[in-house]
Amino acid sequence: MTLTHPEDTVYGQVGDATVPLRFGDLSAEYKVLRERAVALDLSGHTLIEISGPAAVDFAQRVLARDVEYLTSERCMMSLVLDDDGRVVDQVLAFGREDGLLLESSVGAGARLLEHLRAVGDEGVEIADRSADLTVIGLEGPYAWGVVGRLIDGELASLPFEAVSDTVWNDVEIIFARTGFTGEYGYQMIVPVESAADLWLATLEHVTPAGQEALELAMLEVRQPIPRLETAGDVNVIEIGANWLVDVTKDEFVGKEAVLAAFESRQGRRTVGFSGGDTVPEPGARVLAGGEDIGEVVFAVRSVGLGTTLGLARVEAGLAAAGLELTVEGAGVTTLTSPYIVPKSWSIPII
Amino acid sequence: MTVDELRAKAAERQQTCSQIKKMIVSRLDLEVDPDWITDDQPLFGRGLELDSLDVLELYVAIEAEFGVALYDSEMAVFGSISRLADEVDPRLGATA
Repeated sequence: MTLTHPEDTVYGQVGDATVPLRFGDLSAEYKVLRERAVALDLSGHTLIEISGPAAVDFAQRVLARDVEYLTSERCMMSLVLDDDGRVVDQVLAFGREDGLLLESSVGAGARLLEHLRAVGDEGVEIADRSADLTVIGLEGPYAWGVVGRLIDGELASLPFEAVSDTVWNDVEIIFARTGFTGEYGYQMIVPVESAADLWLATLEHVTPAGQEALELAMLEVRQPIPRLETAGDVNVIEIGANWLVDVTKDEFVGKEAVLAAFESRQGRRTVGFSGGDTVPEPGARVLAGGEDIGEVVFAVRSVGLGTTLGLARVEAGLAAAGLELTVEGAGVTTLTSPYIVPKSWSIPII
Repeated sequence: MTVDELRAKAAERQQTCSQIKKMIVSRLDLEVDPDWITDDQPLFGRGLELDSLDVLELYVAIEAEFGVALYDSEMAVFGSISRLADEVDPRLGATA
């Protein structure tokens, strides 16, 4: 843990990382994220540097999206797949002068690193940079205002997935316009020794939110949460993360398996649902007209909707919004995404 | 509803979504199989990565294909293919 937090912070183990689940009240953190802006401790995201003469070719082979022309002023979200088309991780890839910097999803760094090293090529150096770099995030409809007060107002209006190497308090940082929740989002990749100072400076403008509030907001806009959605024998098509895979690309690890799954038109599909007074466990059965059609992927109590919100993986012919289904005896309704409309969609950056 | 009635209802939405995907791919000349686009896929920024010029094109295409004018709508109607389906065919009506 790079950053220090209040004594009453509730931590949890997520994969290989211990992360702040909430700093206080989940409901309050969520509401600030959706209404104003929050700071996010993303130190559970591992940073992996891909360098060497064959770095870009290697990245092009292991990432499911096209990064051949990813300049140092751009970043891109992509899946990393294994040969069977299963998700190893969902990463944020930053173009760099001498290769790429990959940011893992929370707690997935060790698994990603192991996979990259297993498929590594000659001429490629793969280095875990977690000991010297960490990530701080900002999300919310007014996160752009925080950027202006914290660093530079011009950075706030960067295009989505644009990156700028900049300086904060004489420290070189990588600044990016990103976002997981549909709200305006930014990330700051900062040297570990300066992270605490930047975190405290950020907290002069916003309050922090933990992993629970972040993941709830991600679910509401169907931003995939790998640790909760990729368990078991499921492929990209069943997860519904097609948009994080570029099948028009010539070649990448897992492409054949993904195309085979797509062309087979078999398997289940994922759909959101809400309803019920209790939160069903992953694996709870989903019924349609009394017939078992699939299972719950995961569910949470939604602060915004005031009811249970979750994802179900059901037979493809029933993966559609507007259906009345049953989960553990409770009536639920399948939903159209996004389940909550982000406030940022109607607020310009000024 | 019986499971067969639910399947029929789902098929109706999926057919509208499929029609929208084909329209988007055709009008915006995208190099992707329309079926590759998921019903929940975001259209702007992340996801299909359309921009404001694409929106103008889609306004025209939707009116031509579905007879629905969305010019004064909020950006939320483009939140996903399925959300757009709710707009072009209100009978589907599943928007939260």
